[in-house]
Amino acid sequence: MKNVFETIFFTEILQGLGITLSHMFKKPVTYRYPFEATPIQDRFRGIQYIKTHADGRTKCVGCYLCQKVCPSECIHIETDCGPNGERLIRKYELDLSRCIYCGYCEEVCPVDAIHMGWEWNTVASDRSGYVINMKTLSQNYKDNVEGNWKNKHLQKKLVEGVQQ
Amino acid sequence: MVTVKIDGKEVQVAPNTLILDAAKEAGVSIPTLCHDSRLNPFGACRVCLVEQVGNPKLQAACTTPVTDKMEIVTRSEKLSRVRKTAIELLLINHPLDCPVCDKGGECTLQDLTYEVGVTKVRFDAKPNDTPVDHTNPFIERDIDRCVLCGRCVRVCDEVVNIQAISFLNRGTDTIIGTSFEQPWNCEYCGQCISVCPVGSLNNRIYLFKNRPWNLDRVKSVCGLCSCGCTVDIDYEGNEVFRMKESPEEGINHGYMCAKGRFGFEFINSIKRESEAVVKAGGESKKVSFNEAVDVAVEKLKKVKDTAGADAIAVVVSPRLTNEEAFLAGKLAKDVLGTSNLFSTETNEVNPEATLEEVENSDCVTVLNIDVTESNPILGLAVRHAARTGTAPLAVFYPGYTALRRVSKKFVTGTPDEVRAAMESYAAAVAGASNEYSEWAAKLTNAERPVVIFDPYNKADVKLAQDIKKACAKVKVVPAKAKNNSVGIVDMGFGAKCPTEFAQGLESGKFKAVVVLGENLSARSVWTKSASKAAGLELLLVTDPFMSETAAMANVYIPVSTFAEKSGSFTNLEGHVQSIAKAVDKGVNTDACVVSAIAKGLGIKLPAEVSAVRGMIEKEVPLYSGINWDGGVVSYPYVFAGEVAATDGKAKGKGRFFLYPASLRLHSGSFTRWSPDLAKVYGEPMLELSVEDAKELGISAKDRVKVKGEGFEGEFLVEIEKKVSKGCIALPEDFVATAGIFCNGKSLRADIVK
Repeated sequence: MKNVFETIFFTEILQGLGITLSHMFKKPVTYRYPFEATPIQDRFRGIQYIKTHADGRTKCVGCYLCQKVCPSECIHIETDCGPNGERLIRKYELDLSRCIYCGYCEEVCPVDAIHMGWEWNTVASDRSGYVINMKTLSQNYKDNVEGNWKNKHLQKKLVEGVQQ
Repeated sequence: MVTVKIDGKEVQVAPNTLILDAAKEAGVSIPTLCHDSRLNPFGACRVCLVEQVGNPKLQAACTTPVTDKMEIVTRSEKLSRVRKTAIELLLINHPLDCPVCDKGGECTLQDLTYEVGVTKVRFDAKPNDTPVDHTNPFIERDIDRCVLCGRCVRVCDEVVNIQAISFLNRGTDTIIGTSFEQPWNCEYCGQCISVCPVGSLNNRIYLFKNRPWNLDRVKSVCGLCSCGCTVDIDYEGNEVFRMKESPEEGINHGYMCAKGRFGFEFINSIKRESEAVVKAGGESKKVSFNEAVDVAVEKLKKVKDTAGADAIAVVVSPRLTNEEAFLAGKLAKDVLGTSNLFSTETNEVNPEATLEEVENSDCVTVLNIDVTESNPILGLAVRHAARTGTAPLAVFYPGYTALRRVSKKFVTGTPDEVRAAMESYAAAVAGASNEYSEWAAKLTNAERPVVIFDPYNKADVKLAQDIKKACAKVKVVPAKAKNNSVGIVDMGFGAKCPTEFAQGLESGKFKAVVVLGENLSARSVWTKSASKAAGLELLLVTDPFMSETAAMANVYIPVSTFAEKSGSFTNLEGHVQSIAKAVDKGVNTDACVVSAIAKGLGIKLPAEVSAVRGMIEKEVPLYSGINWDGGVVSYPYVFAGEVAATDGKAKGKGRFFLYPASLRLHSGSFTRWSPDLAKVYGEPMLELSVEDAKELGISAKDRVKVKGEGFEGEFLVEIEKKVSKGCIALPEDFVATAGIFCNGKSLRADIVK
């Protein structure tokens, strides 16, 4: 009897239409990427940055620990002795096309230099763009501190996280 | 023998064995920091404390000898607490800069900290912060990291016997330093770096270049002098990062000299050639290896057809391996059919005593050679005999050497005076009665006497032979110069006198010359005739660098250094040791060159080490059945026949006596391409005594002219306290000085300002 009633009056269709109708009044759960960026959580692990001292010198001492700990072998460091007997970083290269964003480099860094950032957009038209060096990594830090996010969704509050 | 029980394991050891050694016997490991088995017990760090059952006090395992029925406990709750505290106390002042410290990763203190589990120091950590000392060209000193174990002080005193460093001040102010905090003035042997358990003393050549966990290691033999030290070559990819001692291994017991430790950089030099060069009609052209070989083969064929095989000569350098020298001999004799095999070495003198015999000798005499400079590890053996042992050491040398501190008799003066003294000493050994009779008696009464001499000085060889003849038990050490000086002679390159080659060049007898690795211009026997080589039909030169001779060559082929090939070297005691390939710089070995030329001439010669060794074992009786890594060649004779008497007196006229100086930083061939050695000693310097400098009004770093009969040259002055009045010395193996010493080993000259 009930089945006959449902069959005659299309109640299930109306139920479905009702749900659809109710969603028209709710907030959307999807994002219109690429017109709109997805939100990033605080503990997200994105493209690395390397902190600098107030005078612009890098905090990195070139200890090779991140190179050693990196499971995907994406970090390449070359160091040498400077003219005044100081430790000099000749080369610091990070290959983002190899990086698996595990965060081990951040974990192992003894001088709190390398950190996982919140930027994630690595898209480039050729592979060479994926290898970033100390200059880019330091610039990333500067951008983060100043809030020059490429990802417009990143909130100002993250800047505070960077500065700690 | 006494019986001791260590951690429940019973072992039988000799009386007076240290607990540490007994524990090693029992297979129990005790952590140590300040202990070094080659040095006297010290007991500074208290890390090796152990419990003795029945004794309330803890004992330091590295200083306490065992007694019978002793029972030792090395692991207990109490001991781990004590060890932990000992490490914590060391860490109070130790800066925790492991990430930037070169020792990080191979540091004993770091390992111990992990072992005992120190994660936090309970005390007020006050890391030192003194500026790092960079005054020494080779050794970086950071006294903050020092744990005052005293190993550097002890090795410098007990082994090297230079005593450059010591403990300064007392108590908490104690530091390691030089007297009056002067700059380090030492032999730069770097033994202190090798024993430092922390990063207080660092190798400046390797400083901050890499980390130990990135480096691959191969055990090889140093190719910079005839001592034949076992070394570890640390490399990453195709770059050598350091050459360091193999701890306590080899004939050198893990000691090295400045040349070996700091002079390896030439292997990575950017000045090395990578392409072969062929010169034709005044124009030089870079060609491939095969093209260069083809040109050489064609010219060799042409010379052989037109002028005969006798117009071809093969010259090898003592830097070649035994295998390469053998192949070169094969090429000359079997392929080219010439008997013109030359090298700077001759088969007049063969090795006799080993370094171990020198160390354990009970009477050592050094005739007219500065061993601590020319062969530093042989120098260490002499020092060991004279200091740790009680061997009376007599040294004859024009000018004081570092052996003066340990010698019982040091005869110095002008070269002529020293020569006369040596002659009377030899006569006294033979039975004559003169002022050296007492010293001669010491030699003849000794059980294991050793005489060290310079095999390149004919007059000295004669004296050594006279001594050997008068006293048969004397073992002689001809202190040969280069890494394979002995080996190439064994491979047949010592039968002809080097002067014969010079005459051949002068007379135009040779039309084609194959020079493997040798620099004719820098060798005193050949330097005068070297320019004649430029006009030859073929001058084929192989060398890792564009040397003076290579620049004259019409076919030049770049070749590898000792770190890039396998093979073997025979050292000054006749010890055959294998070398291992560490890196590849993209150039061929001399063996490949020889093999390729032979192939071009229609005969197959193998280039692989194992195949060549098979041939050597068959064809060289001395090496039949030899152990290629550690075998000692037994020579049928020491001196080949009666050495002709030579007049060793200084030749020419002039106010000063000029003699060849030995250099610990250079041998004039490979090492001059090392930038770090060149920084300290870049060009030949004229050693002048303090009195003469004052008299002539010359100060250090002045440029003066040296003039004698048939030679002249301008050199930088180095004022040396050790040089005797009326004497001057110049290193021999430089192009600028080879032309002087071609006139003789002992000369007279004038200084013109």
